[in-house]
Amino acid sequence: MNEFPVQPSPLLRAEGLTKTYPDGEVQALRGVSLDVERNEAVAIMGPSGCGKSTLLNLLGGLDRPTEGEIYFRGTPLSQIDRDQYRAREVGFVFQSFYVLSTLSAVENVQVPMFETTLDRRQRVERAEALIEQVGLAHRRNHRPMQLSVGERQRVAIARALANEPSLLLADEPTGNLDSRSQNEVLQLLNDLHQRQGLTLIIITHSPEVAAAVQRVIRMRDGRVLEH
Amino acid sequence: MRFITLILRNLLRRRTRTVLTASGLAVAIASVLDLVGIASNFERSFLTIFVGKGIDLLVVRAGISNQLSSNLDQKLGDKLRGTEGVAQVAATLIDTVGFEGAGIASALINGWESGSPLFKGLRILEGRAFEPNEKNVAMLGRVLALNLGKKVGDKLDVAGEPFRVIGIYEGESLFDSGALVVPLATLQQMMGRESQVTGFVIQARSPDPVAIADLRKRIEAEFPGVAATPARDYVQRDVQIRLSRVMAWATTALALLLGSVGMLNTMIMAVFERTQEIGVLRALGWRRSRVLRLILGESVCLGLFGAALGMVLAVVGLRALLLAPTARGFIDPNLPPAVLFLGLILGLLLSILGGVYPAVRASLLDPSEALRHE
Repeated sequence: MNEFPVQPSPLLRAEGLTKTYPDGEVQALRGVSLDVERNEAVAIMGPSGCGKSTLLNLLGGLDRPTEGEIYFRGTPLSQIDRDQYRAREVGFVFQSFYVLSTLSAVENVQVPMFETTLDRRQRVERAEALIEQVGLAHRRNHRPMQLSVGERQRVAIARALANEPSLLLADEPTGNLDSRSQNEVLQLLNDLHQRQGLTLIIITHSPEVAAAVQRVIRMRDGRVLEH
Repeated sequence: MRFITLILRNLLRRRTRTVLTASGLAVAIASVLDLVGIASNFERSFLTIFVGKGIDLLVVRAGISNQLSSNLDQKLGDKLRGTEGVAQVAATLIDTVGFEGAGIASALINGWESGSPLFKGLRILEGRAFEPNEKNVAMLGRVLALNLGKKVGDKLDVAGEPFRVIGIYEGESLFDSGALVVPLATLQQMMGRESQVTGFVIQARSPDPVAIADLRKRIEAEFPGVAATPARDYVQRDVQIRLSRVMAWATTALALLLGSVGMLNTMIMAVFERTQEIGVLRALGWRRSRVLRLILGESVCLGLFGAALGMVLAVVGLRALLLAPTARGFIDPNLPPAVLFLGLILGLLLSILGGVYPAVRASLLDPSEALRHE
């Protein structure tokens, strides 16, 4: 049973988000409000330090806003189990991949599945399917150090999809990639959006990524300039 | 992939640190097991001497904690024989002697009367027991004979006195087999303790504990200045046994402290180094409880690895200890299963003591802060 009732759009709504870090000196967000529709692909752009990553962390349930509220399918995040929200509804992709060096590609994909009721065989089957989906079936048993940076990011994307999330949050997913790998990853994200209807929120500095999404949200000094 | 696979891979990621931490634990656990094992075997062997010979009470001078320091008049034996409820009485003079040539610093020497009930439980492997009025003859325990390289008919120098080996025996305990038995009169003369004995052992007419307790009261009332103690109580109260027990448990406490500090240090370092990774796991939806289980699981696996290594080290160490002349004939190289099991419990305890704090700390990490950690 889905813990989060399906409600009319938007999938995600942020209202008046502010985030002040505990020292009280840095106000990373200053009243950010936005909606993200289901099946939408959105890029968030802006200079370094403008609050993009802070916003992404709040939307992904990694952090709590100082003020304001985020609604997921109409339910305030403050009223739901954030661990469960992250495990079931959100997939994270990071600029530095963060794949576990001791595990093979297919094992890395299984890591989020420990929070599900899947048994070992089901975990392996699903991970194998995801690794194939990102085009790494032939590299499934390779450790991260044996993979190219582009391949590592594809493993990270497969891992983000492990629990069939409805929302994929990517923090500069192509930031550490060469142009060829960048295109491959972008193509993969585009496919996931187009074919599976996955909602994408991507932080990026890349005009290519921005050109590939439906909407660009621009930020500066903790505020949304346009969306 | 199983959860345990992830735990083991994390331990293997830093092999050197894992091996060093486990080795530290192993040394601590091995020391504890050897000391507890020696103390336990010491007590068991001591008790076997009395139980095997059917001894119900030991009569020594009241107030002494070490049997060797007791001194009683041999004539008391006749009076004890006349006490109601007494079946048999045997006098014994005990001392220690060294055999420097063979590298044996200390061996028990027992002075017994010919035909004494104390011979019960000794199996003569070679030769014979001594006859009444025979002097300067010795029966050697099998282990002592082996260590001295003596056989029946050989001459033996005991504390400057010439002796002839007339028998080799096997005792029921290591103490018996590592000792020698000489005629009581010979030992009294040698030690300058004519007509003196260390004490008497008594076999009661009835094995009923109540009857033995009554007999004990009667003896103590009738003969002031002597203490009659049941064999088990006597063994447990013996100062050397108590000392060895206290030392073993003191070492255990110290090993627990040092081992858990070592484990704590390792796990805190592991958590600190992997802060970002923990942030990633939390971002992927892992609950605090799963992070806690991961870190505690690593700690427990490390503890069990250390315990297994410690048990092997304890067995090897005890056998190596037997190479030392002072230990020969006194130490039973076999660790009882209960003592080995203690190693496992110690490993678990150390890993939990050292792992709980880092695991809780890891589970309480704020995911977004952990992800920003460099």
